[in-house]
Amino acid sequence: MKATFGNAIQYQTHEGTGHLILGQPPSNTMTPGFFEEFDQAIDRILNDRHIRALVISGNGRHFSSGADLTALFPEIQGHSTVDNRGNLLRVPGFMLKNHRSFLKLESMTIPVISAIRGVCLGSALELALSCHFRFSGEDAVFGLPEATFNLIPGLGGVRNLSAITGKAKALELILTGKTIPASEALTLGIVDRIFPKREVVKISLGFALNIMQGFHKEKNKMYLKKYFPV
Amino acid sequence: MQRENSPEMEIMDNITWEIRDNIGILTLNNPPENYLDRPDFLPINTLKQWTSEEGLKGVLFCAGGKHFSAGGKLENLFKMISANEDVSARMEAGKSLLDHLENLNIPIVVAIQGICFGGGLEIALACHIRICSENALFAFPEINSGILPGLGGTLRVHELTGFPASMKMILGGDMINAGEALELKLVDYITTKSGLFDHAFSLLKKMTYDRPLDVIHGVMQALQNSRKLSRQEAMLQETRIFCELALAEAKKRDASGDATGRMF
Repeated sequence: MKATFGNAIQYQTHEGTGHLILGQPPSNTMTPGFFEEFDQAIDRILNDRHIRALVISGNGRHFSSGADLTALFPEIQGHSTVDNRGNLLRVPGFMLKNHRSFLKLESMTIPVISAIRGVCLGSALELALSCHFRFSGEDAVFGLPEATFNLIPGLGGVRNLSAITGKAKALELILTGKTIPASEALTLGIVDRIFPKREVVKISLGFALNIMQGFHKEKNKMYLKKYFPV
Repeated sequence: MQRENSPEMEIMDNITWEIRDNIGILTLNNPPENYLDRPDFLPINTLKQWTSEEGLKGVLFCAGGKHFSAGGKLENLFKMISANEDVSARMEAGKSLLDHLENLNIPIVVAIQGICFGGGLEIALACHIRICSENALFAFPEINSGILPGLGGTLRVHELTGFPASMKMILGGDMINAGEALELKLVDYITTKSGLFDHAFSLLKKMTYDRPLDVIHGVMQALQNSRKLSRQEAMLQETRIFCELALAEAKKRDASGDATGRMF
């Protein structure tokens, strides 16, 4: 089965496995439209009792280069409630919604696997960090470059990265904003396995099928609650 | 370590403070072992005053001589107790010194050479990033005198290394070399003895040189939150800090007419 929600995401199912494809090649930029569609896609998967595992990958050679800053700045300016000195009073609703979509993703009671090739930067890495497994091609590069644009990761990246790598490495990666290759990401625990780049999506789908067949959905739920508490 | 002294160096209780390129350098200067004479090894107000210097972007904690620190002098401690001094108040004061270091809103890196025992290790554990030389040795020898680390070291070592390894260190008094310390995540980097200071200093520069203070404070705040707040609350605050910075940055770009379509 295939479905689209717009032009930023494609969704397919194979035998009970859902496959979300970030679909605006080459860089699969996460535009405001992307986040809108992403939230719809997550809701749809949450309501589909037949889906027992989810794989997320990028269309083409890259996972995603992250959020689209040119579109983001005016959106934030337009939707923020500020006091008369320009200080932020209320976080814009669309940012809270984006944040909630990622929370929904990580609280899913089916295993969620990100299959990562090429670049996985900024919000794209935050998306991957909200998944339960991260499988990577040997060509992948990871990074949170927000600080180099005078920002910080804003969708759980700081919290989730420091939980995986410890405070010290998270501090260094976020403040320098440097990118690291898959091998270093593996050492730091950011990715779980590295595969040949052409096979990472196929292997992830196979892995999903495999663990899915081993569990009933109810048992699966208990397992995830136990090992991935939110 | 090769260091030239700058004229603005301040000294208090065998600890010196100077600022170089917006990085504050705290140096233990009581060689050869750099013993800490008291649990409250520095007046808290001095530390606060030093670290609140305007424009300060990072702190490097290091020690002069062959060793980082052999920790507190236990004879002193026992003497204080027999003289009926209020030792628990001194311990509290020592704890608030380490809490202050840990809660700084700028990164603090510690450079460790030679021996790093007891209170010395507790100081190192309160810093954000630990770099040690190949000859570094770590231990909590307190157990040999029938006491335990009392400045928060038991909690901090547990956070980094997990339960089994911290039990071995605290209860067993085991000595750990640099390689083992790296494996246990007790330290983040190992470097040569001669390159230690430069490595630590350049890491701090790399992290902070091009970054405005607001961004450094934002990152530090978000990181500290993940330790103090619930997971969901920490993530929500992260989004909030992001929006505050984005709002400021958007205004700046509007003002300068910079509309480059960069992405991340």
